[in-house]
Amino acid sequence: MPNIVACFKWVIDEAYIRKSASGALDFSAVDYKISDYDRNAIEEAARLKGLHGGSVTVLTAGAPETAKGVKDALSRGADQAFFANDASFNQLESSQTAAILGEIIRSRIPYDLIICGEGSSDQYAQQVGPRLAENLGIPCISYVQKLTIGEDGRIMVERRVEEGVEVVEAPLPVLVTVSPEINTPRIPGVKDTLMASKKPVVTIKKEEMQAVGAARLQTIGMTATRMERNCEIFAATPEGIARFVEALQKKGVIS
Amino acid sequence: MDFKLTEEQELIRKNMREFADKYVEPIAVEIDENSRHPAEVFKKLAEGDWMGIPIPTEYGGAGSDYLTHILAIEELSRSCASTGFTVSIHVGIACMLVLLNGTEEQKQQYLLPMAKGEKLGAFVLTEPGAGTDVMAATTTAVLDGDSYVLNGTKTFTSNGPTGDVYMVFAWTDKAAGRKGMSCFIIPKGTAGMTAGTHFRKMGLRSSQTSEMVFKDCRVPKANLLGKEGAGLVMAMAGFDHGRVGIAAQCIGIIQAALDESIRYSKERVQFGNPISKNQAISWMIADMATELSAARFLTYHAAWLKDQKQNFSKEAAMAKLFASEAAMRHTIKAVQIHGGYGYCKGAKVERLMRDAKITEIYEGTSEAQRMVISGNVLR
Repeated sequence: MPNIVACFKWVIDEAYIRKSASGALDFSAVDYKISDYDRNAIEEAARLKGLHGGSVTVLTAGAPETAKGVKDALSRGADQAFFANDASFNQLESSQTAAILGEIIRSRIPYDLIICGEGSSDQYAQQVGPRLAENLGIPCISYVQKLTIGEDGRIMVERRVEEGVEVVEAPLPVLVTVSPEINTPRIPGVKDTLMASKKPVVTIKKEEMQAVGAARLQTIGMTATRMERNCEIFAATPEGIARFVEALQKKGVIS
Repeated sequence: MDFKLTEEQELIRKNMREFADKYVEPIAVEIDENSRHPAEVFKKLAEGDWMGIPIPTEYGGAGSDYLTHILAIEELSRSCASTGFTVSIHVGIACMLVLLNGTEEQKQQYLLPMAKGEKLGAFVLTEPGAGTDVMAATTTAVLDGDSYVLNGTKTFTSNGPTGDVYMVFAWTDKAAGRKGMSCFIIPKGTAGMTAGTHFRKMGLRSSQTSEMVFKDCRVPKANLLGKEGAGLVMAMAGFDHGRVGIAAQCIGIIQAALDESIRYSKERVQFGNPISKNQAISWMIADMATELSAARFLTYHAAWLKDQKQNFSKEAAMAKLFASEAAMRHTIKAVQIHGGYGYCKGAKVERLMRDAKITEIYEGTSEAQRMVISGNVLR
């Protein structure tokens, strides 16, 4: 019966970000959510528990507001949560997140399988999963779209790769990063949310851990993409179509 | 003062938003067009414990509070006011009537499956000649041995054609006046009770409404809800709960009208600019947002009072009155903002405007709410 750890990030829900006329991003009225693919990670952990038994632990590092995210994650089929909580943890860079999660898992959570989303919906650096595996010294299988645990304690997965699907097998313990095709995350019911508040949460303060190293990347700025539109109408005649093709070529849309 | 929802309430609201976006919004046009009861959606609502949020877990509910139920109705109604209403009358009136007045046996037998969402509740009071004037009702229940025999015709029964458990009001002693009406729990399939065909309505079309005919309908004494003669008092308390639900339905309608109006007015270009740049339009949107907030606070306050076990009769009437009239005002404005496009089928605001009208009529007309409120403040 596998002990499964699902990692998640509590991120700004991009639907609430507004764009000012200058292109600057306005975060004044945002709401937060569990990062999209991390919901797939938690769902996969809960699904596997349904099949094989064992336990599901959800794990995150974040600012105190992330407590709501911890409840959200617990309402999705997890048994318990570990929460590295510090006001400075809302701006972690991938290497720092991986170091924090690694330290907590190594010292506090027995595991056979660790599941992460392939990337976060805010920055999508796709770094935390592989770095965490490296930190723990276990194999990492990324972009997993199908996962089964065999009776021999090995996992078989299908990976989405550029031009096809790669089938990989590995002994546990292992870390996988999952892509959205792997499952459809549940919408928690009312009782699931109410029960989540009664599940155990271990909160770990910054002082209880090794000092977090300096960020290896610095975000200098963030602006909205600018989309230019212009409208040109072509007649549905042989000449019009020829001009249309020519216009697309000129813009580099087709070659 | 604390205007903050709990983390659970915020998450539950968010989950209902996602549920409505995924399962309700995509079919809202079709179920309106075809006046269809979306049984598949109600099955999913039952699975997520949405059909009995404020009912204790021992009676099949989720064991949460009334405000949480109100948040769910609001979010559901934002996608489809009919679906929101069906849940509202089921929980707010049918389930609450049994929870507040039923015996332990009645709660186990009828409330439990209703709160689990396995059975749908209906409230059967209005008659062809008795709307706001409840005393003009003519349906009777005569005691005969161990059972009551009901005769009469009811109308505008919501969940009439689709209901499983009916809360039926009838005179057991007409001469006793306000203390002469009683309430009976009657399960579907009881001989002598028939539901008519679904009315074709202007709006709220997927909510199923019909006549209910009682012809020598024999109901065991055990199905009397509360005491004989206590029917009207129970009905009024049921309305208090139901009205907060209608107010929540209205908030959902106004929120949808506002969302659509903001989106459209920013996209629609006239005279070289998005129409949102015109003061005439932006002020309509400002009024809409303001009255939406006012309606929301009145409604949440009424639900909060209920959760605090305080009297909320007046506040429920105020919330329902203000929210329903605001819903009508602002859905008309939303159609105006959309111009000709808003007058066509398929535009969400067209459906919202039709759906809004009934909220000023059912579960007590605006006039009836003013009677309740003035009766309270002129005491």
